[in-house]
Order: sequence, then C-alpha cells, then structure tokens
Amino acid sequence: MSIRDDFPILNRKVNGESLVYLDNAATTQKPQIVITAMNDYYQNSNANVHRAVHTLAGEATEGYEACRNELKNWFNAGRVIITSGTTESINLVAHAWARANLVAGDAVILTEMEHHSDIVPWQLLAQDIGIELRFVSLNEDLTLDLDAFEASLVGAKLVACVHTSNVLGIRNPIEKIIKMSHANGAKVLLDSAQAVPHEKIDFKDLDADFLACSAHKMCGPTGIGCLLVKEDSFNQMQPFMGGGDMIQTVTISGSTYQENEHKFEAGTPRIAEGVGWAAALKWLSKIDLHSEHLRLLEIARWTAQQIKDIPGMTVFGRHADGDSAVVSFIHDSVHPEDMARLLDARGIAIRTGHHCAQPLMQRLGVEGTMRVSFYLYNNQAEAELLIETMKGIVERFS
Amino acid sequence: MTWPPALQEVIDEFSEIEDAMERLEVLMDFAEEVDELSEEEWSDENLVKGCQSRAHVVLEKRDNTIWMRAAADSKMVQGLMGILTIAVNGGTVEQVLELTPDFVLEMKVLNTLTPSRSNGFRTMFDMIQKTVKEMK
Repeated sequence: MSIRDDFPILNRKVNGESLVYLDNAATTQKPQIVITAMNDYYQNSNANVHRAVHTLAGEATEGYEACRNELKNWFNAGRVIITSGTTESINLVAHAWARANLVAGDAVILTEMEHHSDIVPWQLLAQDIGIELRFVSLNEDLTLDLDAFEASLVGAKLVACVHTSNVLGIRNPIEKIIKMSHANGAKVLLDSAQAVPHEKIDFKDLDADFLACSAHKMCGPTGIGCLLVKEDSFNQMQPFMGGGDMIQTVTISGSTYQENEHKFEAGTPRIAEGVGWAAALKWLSKIDLHSEHLRLLEIARWTAQQIKDIPGMTVFGRHADGDSAVVSFIHDSVHPEDMARLLDARGIAIRTGHHCAQPLMQRLGVEGTMRVSFYLYNNQAEAELLIETMKGIVERFS
Repeated sequence: MTWPPALQEVIDEFSEIEDAMERLEVLMDFAEEVDELSEEEWSDENLVKGCQSRAHVVLEKRDNTIWMRAAADSKMVQGLMGILTIAVNGGTVEQVLELTPDFVLEMKVLNTLTPSRSNGFRTMFDMIQKTVKEMK
C-alpha cells in the first residue's frame, strides 16, 4: 500500500482529469482513517464532553482528550490548549498573555514574512493598549535579517515569528531566534502552521514559550488547532473567552476558573475534530516525516528549477535544507489567476493571490504569486505534469 | 431565468464546448468585447475592491440606458467583463438590476458565486448593480 492509497479524494476527477492536488500549504487532504474516525464518532459516540456521566459522554470525553494526549506525545509538550487553529492560537496569546503582561510602550517583534494572522492581532492590541510593533526586514535572498532582528530586540517583550513561511517555504533559524530572544528577556511565539507538516517538533527541546499550529495542514480536520505553552507562561495567562467548561464555580458575584487548559477552552469544543486529529497523528506517526520531507524538498527544487527555465517566470525562495516543499512564482504576462484556472481545467490545483501575507508581497514588489506546495501523497510524476502543462499554457497564452 | 438574447447567445456558445481549457480560451477571447479604459481611468475610484486581479469598471447612464467600460490585468477577468458588457450595455436600469450572476455557472466558466477573495466576478457584478441602483 502506498501513502496515496490512503486518500480517497485522490481518485476523483476534476474536469475529466485525475486530480493533482498541489495546494497543500493551504490545506492537506485527509486519509481514510481520519474520515472514518470522525464518522464513527458521530455514528456511535456523539455526546458533549466533560459533564454528563452517561456512556456516550464518557466515550466522547475519552475521544476528545485522547487528542490532547496524542498532541502532548507528538510535540513533547506539557500544556496543550486546543483552539480552532493557528489564528485563534495567536489571538489567544495576544488576549490571554500579552494583554495581561504587556503595558504601553512594550515592544512586540514581528517579521516582514508574517501571515496576516500574526500581524493583525498585534495591530489590534497595539491600538488597544499601546504596545509598539517592530517589523524585522528581510535580506536580499529573502531570509530574515538577523542583524536587524538582534537590533530590534532591545526592550522587546515578545517575538512573534513565523517558523516556516507559507509563501516562500523558507524556514527561519528559530533555534537561534529563541536563544537570542531569551538572552534579551523576550518570550517567543512561533507560528508553526507550515512547519508542523514537515518536521517533528520537540517543544521542550526547542524551548519556545508558545507554539501555534493547525490540524488541517497535517492531514487532520479543519476547524481545530492548538497552542503549546511553556508552564511559566501558562501561569501568566488570564482567561480570555468566558463560558461553560472553563469555570470551577459561577455565582452572581463572580466566578472561579479551571486550572488546566480547559480554562482557555470555553464552550463545547470541536469533539469530532479532536477525534479526527488524534487519528491523523496516529497515521502520521507511522510515516518517516524526515525522509518524506527530503523527498518532497527534492521535488520542490526540481520544480523550482524547471519553472525558472520557462521564459518569463520568476521564482521566489531558495529551497534550502529544512525549507518546506513550496514554490512561489510569477510570470511576466500570464496572470496568476488565469494560470490557476487553466491548470484547473487540467485537474491541477494550485494557489494564487497574496497568501494572506500582503507585507511580504509588498517586499517582493508583486500583488500576488502562484504557489505550488507538495505533501506526502505527491510525487515527481505530478510535478512533471504540472511543468508540462504550464509550459503549454505559457506558449499558448503569453 | 430568461436572459437577454445577446447573453443567451453567449451561454449557448459556451454550452457547446466540452473541454474545460477550450472554454477558458473562449472566455479570454471575450476580453476583446470590453470598451477599454484609458490609463488614467485605472484609478482607485474605479477599482473593483477584493478582486485578485486589478480590475476597473466605469459605468455611465445615457438616455436611461447603462453603458460600462472596463479593464483588468487578468485576461479571464477581462473576459468576464466582456460578457458582462454584452449583458449590460444598452440595457435599462431595470433590466440591469434584473440580471442575476449565475449565467457564469451556466457557462461553466466559474465554479462558485460566493463572494470571496477568489471570486472577483461576484464582487464586480454586485458593484455594478449597486452603482446602477444609485443611478435610478
């Protein structure tokens, strides 16, 4: 059995052609085991969690909390707050930690390659409590300018930094960034949405203070993600969203809160999604992620080179070791949207636009790019079909 | 819905094409149908906001009929503008407001009409109707 056989969606046709799905940085496809686990939960165990004593409630609670346990094992993390995804995780840090621990004038460091989800929450907080935002620029080769980063650290309280760029695939030197930040007394929040599908992260070993990620980038369901938090930072967080499940007692004069992660998980959680994510992690644990990453990076390097050889094309990113298997590019006469629709006519799914990273687009001097991103079920033959089809399109339409 | 005869002709033309790429090629040919804008008219004022491509539309009312001119940096978006031009130009305010955007689904040139970042056509269509409504 190959990895591809586990993904039923890969059997479908798009516009009469076999689907070639190359939009994995947006979301990955789901293996049958995830679909079955979620179906099975709704068919056999659906109930609310953490409260009732009946059999179904017990099964639902076990299924949902199994996800947290799988995540703790997968990431070697002590505290795992389950959220709706990376965006909510970052917003949670802004509201539950930063609002309680930062004051006007404190600096938060961001970079020019952040996704909007790691920019806008900080802009909102800056408007609200007057923190200062500092954006670290990029070098000519689009890597982070570490000298500028070091200079920006003076007086900084938090560094909120993308682990791996969703546009360029460039993996930032996060180990160095964490050491430099801590040496300057700043905590570190990593946006690891694009990193977790490609590398096994040991959160304790990494020593970051916060790490945000989403299930759907790593073969899990949409609508669920998590925030990993170091114990001392966890203890500095104040409740953000109020409601059921996060309290110990509520009286009309006030409330007391849960002491564990539930304190930050008000309301009925995403139970089926938790069950699905646990199944995805079990499935992923059978795969050698590192060797798969090397295989996919080789495909991305080959693809980048082939695209560069097509007249009128410009490729962004360097595809160095550790970078994700993402290739962003533009053509000087075929509009990204036109290219994407023409490729779709041949069953090939790619992404176009600003990729929720407009400051990076401004840095690149473009309005948007085309982006192909490979994952576990992709292969060299698909990359070859992409190149052949794009060459035909460029010849015909440029 | 009953479409204006000129638009129905375009729908019929598309319905005869089986190959998806050929359909898009024909869509791009419709880019020629627009009354193009001058360089100065590629302005923020005329910009269709929330479109992936840079798309600009200018609408005028003459003798109770609506006339649009448009341009985009994507050939397909300009092709959609060309089809809209056929649907809109010379129609009365009431006729333009009666139009619904789903003719592009019938033509199989788009796969969704939900307003979103990936669907500049819907944004453009809604903007045209809003502007025309104000011309009433």
